[in-house]
Amino acid sequence: MTKASNLSARKRNERIAAYVFVIPAVVLLVAFLVVPMIYTVYYSVFQYQIMRPDDITFIGLKNYVKLFGDSDFWQALKNTVYFTVIVVPCQCALALALALLVSKKFRGVAIFRTMYFSPQLTSMVVISILWTVLYNSNPNTGLINSLLTNLGFDSINFLSNEKTAMNSIIFMSAWQGAGYQMMIFLAGLQGIPGEQYEAASVDGATKFQQFLYVTIPGLQSTIKYVIMITMIQAMKLFTQPYVMTQGGPKNSTKTLVYYIYTQGFQNGNFGYACAVAAVFFVIVVTMSLAMKRVTSATD
Amino acid sequence: MKKLIALVLALAMALSLVACGSSSSTTTTSDTTTDSSAAAATDSDEVIYLTIWSPTDEAAVEEWWVEKLAEWNEANPNIQVSREAIDRSDSYAYDNKIATAVTSNDLPDIFYVDGPQVSYYAANGVTVPLDDYFTAEDLEDFVDSAVTQNTYDGQLYAIGATESSVAFFYNKDYLTECGVDVDDLDSRTIDNPITWSEFLEIAEKCTTDSYVGTHIIMDHGEGLPYALEPLYVSEGVDYISDDGTTAEGYVNSAEAVTTTAWLANIIANGYANIDPIDDEFLNGACATMLGGSWDIATLEESADFEWGVTYYPVSDDTGTAVSPCGDWAAAISKNCENVDAAGEFLQWLMNTENVATYAAAIAKPATRSSAYDEEAMADYAEGARALIVEQLENTASPRPRSPSYANFSSDYAEAMTNIFSDAASTGTVDEDYIQSELDRVSANFTENYETYYAE
Amino acid sequence: MTRKPQSKKASAFLSKFLFYAGNIVIGVIFVSPLLWMISASLKPEADIFANMSSIMTFVPTNATLSNYLEVFSRMNLLVVFKNTLLYIGLILIFDLIVNSICGYALAKFDFKGKGLILNLVIALMVLPMEAIMLPLYIEMSQLGWVNTLQALVVPFIAKCFSIYMFRQFFYDIPNDLLEAAAIDGCSPIRTFFNVVVPISKTVYATVFILDFVSHWNDFMWPFLVMTGENKRTIQLAVQSFFGTQPVHYGAIMAALVISAIPMIIMFIFMQKYYVEGIASSGIKG
Repeated sequence: MTKASNLSARKRNERIAAYVFVIPAVVLLVAFLVVPMIYTVYYSVFQYQIMRPDDITFIGLKNYVKLFGDSDFWQALKNTVYFTVIVVPCQCALALALALLVSKKFRGVAIFRTMYFSPQLTSMVVISILWTVLYNSNPNTGLINSLLTNLGFDSINFLSNEKTAMNSIIFMSAWQGAGYQMMIFLAGLQGIPGEQYEAASVDGATKFQQFLYVTIPGLQSTIKYVIMITMIQAMKLFTQPYVMTQGGPKNSTKTLVYYIYTQGFQNGNFGYACAVAAVFFVIVVTMSLAMKRVTSATD
Repeated sequence: MKKLIALVLALAMALSLVACGSSSSTTTTSDTTTDSSAAAATDSDEVIYLTIWSPTDEAAVEEWWVEKLAEWNEANPNIQVSREAIDRSDSYAYDNKIATAVTSNDLPDIFYVDGPQVSYYAANGVTVPLDDYFTAEDLEDFVDSAVTQNTYDGQLYAIGATESSVAFFYNKDYLTECGVDVDDLDSRTIDNPITWSEFLEIAEKCTTDSYVGTHIIMDHGEGLPYALEPLYVSEGVDYISDDGTTAEGYVNSAEAVTTTAWLANIIANGYANIDPIDDEFLNGACATMLGGSWDIATLEESADFEWGVTYYPVSDDTGTAVSPCGDWAAAISKNCENVDAAGEFLQWLMNTENVATYAAAIAKPATRSSAYDEEAMADYAEGARALIVEQLENTASPRPRSPSYANFSSDYAEAMTNIFSDAASTGTVDEDYIQSELDRVSANFTENYETYYAE
Repeated sequence: MTRKPQSKKASAFLSKFLFYAGNIVIGVIFVSPLLWMISASLKPEADIFANMSSIMTFVPTNATLSNYLEVFSRMNLLVVFKNTLLYIGLILIFDLIVNSICGYALAKFDFKGKGLILNLVIALMVLPMEAIMLPLYIEMSQLGWVNTLQALVVPFIAKCFSIYMFRQFFYDIPNDLLEAAAIDGCSPIRTFFNVVVPISKTVYATVFILDFVSHWNDFMWPFLVMTGENKRTIQLAVQSFFGTQPVHYGAIMAALVISAIPMIIMFIFMQKYYVEGIASSGIKG
């Protein structure tokens, strides 16, 4: 057997293995994500009251025309982008900091990891209800405002003022979500060989230099992944505005997914909601594929 | 170990293959409870099975269902009824479940629906009329508001056992401290309720550093239009026209703007919190509240102060007494194959004794006047509960019966949130802004109604 | 080197002290809502929001177990936990296998359509559940899966987030290691199971934890497809408490505390795979 044929046999084996490996996932993705998505796009050209599925009317691109003139849609898009742009760097940096704090083994490390992860252990709905109470505008009933007034500041209508509502949601979201990304960073940190730190330390590198020249390069692919999924999850923001502010005040916390949900289910404009969903989908896919291109330039 | 992995892999593949050939597969083994009624219909000697959906509730209510259905099923071997408790988180989630079931024709035979949604379901053909099972004579015993709320386009589409109301609650201890004449409040009658200006005066007097004067339901949802509607009706103009076709000239009328401005003024002056917590009154953080009939039990149980309750305040201009009402009711779905059997069951379910015991279990006022003579409802003979019944029988005004009410409700709640937010941050009331927000609510209503329901 | 042993020891102690103090302060900030939840679950209803303006809100002064009794009376914990663990367990078994092999193929194999599949995975990550809920429900209904375990499990096995995470981690495994296995005569599939999986426990543990937690908090989908008391999942049981008027927050908090316990146990248990990850990293270098 020649070396060349051996190599090509290996290539062939690898190709077969590749298909065996990807087919289950791809079949499931197509069946349960792509097919429903195609339906969503299909319904977007119909006038469809959600309670009357037998009585839908084809209206061409009317839903899309309406959408481009719909100020609520544009506001929702703006809010979604604002939330994403602010929350992604904050949450990722916080998550990385937390991960660094608890990446090494020390007495009680499991307890601290659990503490940082604990906001993830309760459903977002309940966390949102809790923060609604914490953010309460009256110092007599709201913990944060009580702290502020005791320190001599004025109380703030966190959630009922259009200037502060979204930032309040950003703050609690970063707090709640950081534990999730922390776990991914932790996994990434375990993959950096200890010798690299030792070598750097022998060379006289400070902790900060070690972080810059060992940790960051070692975490490169993890960081890319974390930024990408945080961005995508941020674009899908829904529960917090749904529970805490219902998109208000003055549309300041209305996000695209919130808009899709309320239009489609609460208001029954299912066809229109599908059009918003289709546009949302195009926007976010474009963004994430562009990001993948930018980040994978170094792959 | 490797064999196990191979096995699991094979399973995964098989599952995904099943998923793939989905739409063509005809042998579906679906849940039996919903399909069995269809099977029964083909053979008239067979037993008819009916399924009911209603929201999950406290243990007392769950027990009531078990007990009552056992009683019915024993007495009616040919109509067997079972109930599924639906774990709704909010009423929107419940509506979603109905919406998805509508899409795939998986609706149960009977389902419970919140009062203001009756028209929405009826107009979209999700429910069927019940007039054959409840005659005008039968309905005479029910409070008018409950019958009206459940009637759409001249036909009855739902029938409920329970009602609700809102009244003016006050902390007697604290009000006395603030120099409010509590005895006067206690002595009010339904013909002599407090007026808006008296309400405002009390709220102003009682607002201090540690108390706010009053509490307005601010749930950003249905609670807001529900609790506030009597103010508008009392001022002279309801949210939506009587026939349910338009909000133009109603929710954005001059009277509505006046009413809204009056409310915004309370917020602007800090007499009420813009985002009050649920138990504000109970916890002694506010002096008075426009509270619900459901608050009575909690107050009796936990309040550590003397409290009183009087009638919903009336407009100074008209003096017309109005109060909120409405609660969940049972409806028969379009997927029900044995409407007669379901109707027969509902007749029984809504008889005086059942209404009385159900209302007692769920701690809500009953819809049938005769139910109050039953022992289970003895609580309602006097005190706060008697006042609630008095309001229901005399001043209750159902919410607008329009298929577009659900849209109206969320739009109105949104507009009020904006208006209150504006009032809170500027400390003043901007009537032009109020007008523009209410105009938007009206325009949205028109759009929705014209799109789906106009002839 | 040992000129000032005392001060060095002191500074080591100080830095250790600061490290712990910092961790504790930050930890408390993160865990405080959970503490509040526990405290509220032990309070009578009237006390829950009573002291929100002071730190005393974290202390249940009139502690009572009545909220827990209410929870036990309203939900059959055994059934609820059994249902939830069953469906999440099934999802996770398939999830870890299906998504890791797919991620591995995308990281290490060359084949036609690889770029396309990778882009598909990224694109599908974006789909919000709220946008495809109804069509997916219709699909379930056509399959006859409404109110069956399949509807809870099968659509959620393949997860783009997990595939992509596996792909990123496998991507960093040195090719030399795989080459070596190949030269030893391992087929690509065997290389994966015998060489790659044993050194990748950390990423499996991570995917396990994250997916377990997110499914534990599922509400809307189980709510739509499952009907009936004996089919209840944990979030359905918890959220049904929001449906009664007036809302009993004490009971809700008690239900939440109970529902968080299995997750905390799972999380602490899965920690050990993070430690092993460190040991395995030696192989990689």
